[in-house]
Amino acid sequence: MATRSGFSAQTLSVLVALADQPSEWRHGYALAKHTCLKSGTLYPILIRLADRGLVEACWQDEPQPGRPRRHLYRLTADGLAAAGAALAGVAESQARQRRRAPLTKRGAIARAMS
Amino acid sequence: MSQFRRACDAMRRAALQVVPAARRDWVEAVWAEAADVPPGWRRLAWRAGGVQLIVREALMQRRIGTALLFTAAAGAAAWAAWPGPPSYLVISDHRALVVAVIVVLAGLPLLARRLFGPVSRSRTARALRVCTYAAVLALIPARNAIDGFRDVPPRGGIDLRVYAVINTEHRIARTESFDGIMFLVIMALCVSAVLWLTSQRSQVAPGTLGTGAVAGIGVGVAVYAVAPLGLSKAATNPWLPGSDVDPLVLLAWILVLFAPPAAAFVAWRRYTAAGTATAPVAGARQVLGAGLLTNLVGALLVAALGTGTTALTLKEAWLRNWLYHGQRQYFGIAGLRSLLHGDLAGIAYSHELTAAVDGSIFLVMCAAFPVIGLALIALPALDRLGSPETEPGRRSAATVRP
Repeated sequence: MATRSGFSAQTLSVLVALADQPSEWRHGYALAKHTCLKSGTLYPILIRLADRGLVEACWQDEPQPGRPRRHLYRLTADGLAAAGAALAGVAESQARQRRRAPLTKRGAIARAMS
Repeated sequence: MSQFRRACDAMRRAALQVVPAARRDWVEAVWAEAADVPPGWRRLAWRAGGVQLIVREALMQRRIGTALLFTAAAGAAAWAAWPGPPSYLVISDHRALVVAVIVVLAGLPLLARRLFGPVSRSRTARALRVCTYAAVLALIPARNAIDGFRDVPPRGGIDLRVYAVINTEHRIARTESFDGIMFLVIMALCVSAVLWLTSQRSQVAPGTLGTGAVAGIGVGVAVYAVAPLGLSKAATNPWLPGSDVDPLVLLAWILVLFAPPAAAFVAWRRYTAAGTATAPVAGARQVLGAGLLTNLVGALLVAALGTGTTALTLKEAWLRNWLYHGQRQYFGIAGLRSLLHGDLAGIAYSHELTAAVDGSIFLVMCAAFPVIGLALIALPALDRLGSPETEPGRRSAATVRP
């Protein structure tokens, strides 16, 4: 389901994971563990973010011996800004919901009393 | 490395070929990460995600999507058209025709890509190709239903006598194979013409294609409205009085004759007003494209609708009775009136058989209409070739009045 920021909950979780250490290059399996997303969900999200210029990707320069080179990802400047804006939007909507909740509860109690 | 793993790697490399080049890194990335995932079900699930990505990215490619769509549509058309057991020679002919038409339809775009270049980068061009293929594929089962009815003589009774009378008039038995071959050739020519018009190398503008298509739909609907069962005087629309020279039929023919030049003129005006300098050859291409497309679309539309209606007439009695109405129920074929006097079952069969025989006229329309369109716009196209280059946003000197 898309949030107010236009990103789905899964995309937001990827943005949060990448924004955690924005200067660090992260690999797919680490992101999958962080976000609890399956590879079939995670990679299409990364592709979409890369297409929109929010994520940059590159191949590892020096692969570890005995294993293939890894594909690495991090947020671009635009991606960092978009992630910040999206997270701020989510925080704001959560705060609004918290403010509304007591009123709704009071209303429900009043309706029950009447 | 185990043989299983080697086979998996070979399959992955082969599957990568169907993924667009810009996406292959991503698929490789999923596979590279699999080395870090704990072995067992979790690694298998990770790799399954990679397969999912391959399928997803491959399906995003338009060519594969189009091929799958065509395969599904052609399969459905063949399934609907496939005649019963080949106990009769004609049935084998019909089967061969179904297969041949589908093979030709599948092969022509590949040939066209080589000869005319890829499809033009416009939605109109793609929509035209899809609609043309849909029309031809719809014609296959409709035609087979008609041919299967027409080419197999009844076993006896009044129906056999009706068949004999109509056969004497129309030579049904002689036309069956010829009709099949002509259908194949004419459809191949129509599809080739559409493939050329909608290719990049033809340089026919999207606006021209749109103008031609809209005019063609008008022509097709008008001709179908007056002649849903062909041009025989025996059958007509219930809303026409049924006189020999019907004003509405005349109007439809006038439309067939005047629509191509009108569409060519509109397309050329739109093209020259688009703000690009117009070379004479480009202008002539727009005139030719719009004129040809108008009658081509019109012919294919009326053929698909008319053949479909005829096929439905053979199955639905209410439609047959509605379309064959009033005083024209005996068709004007010599000997049929006296033969069928009062025999309702015989009359119904004669209507069905006449509709099946008259259905061939739609094939003639598919061949004749585009030729008529070409003939009508040949002069204006040649005129454009001889005119000087048009400045952006202006009409050529030939059309600017003093």
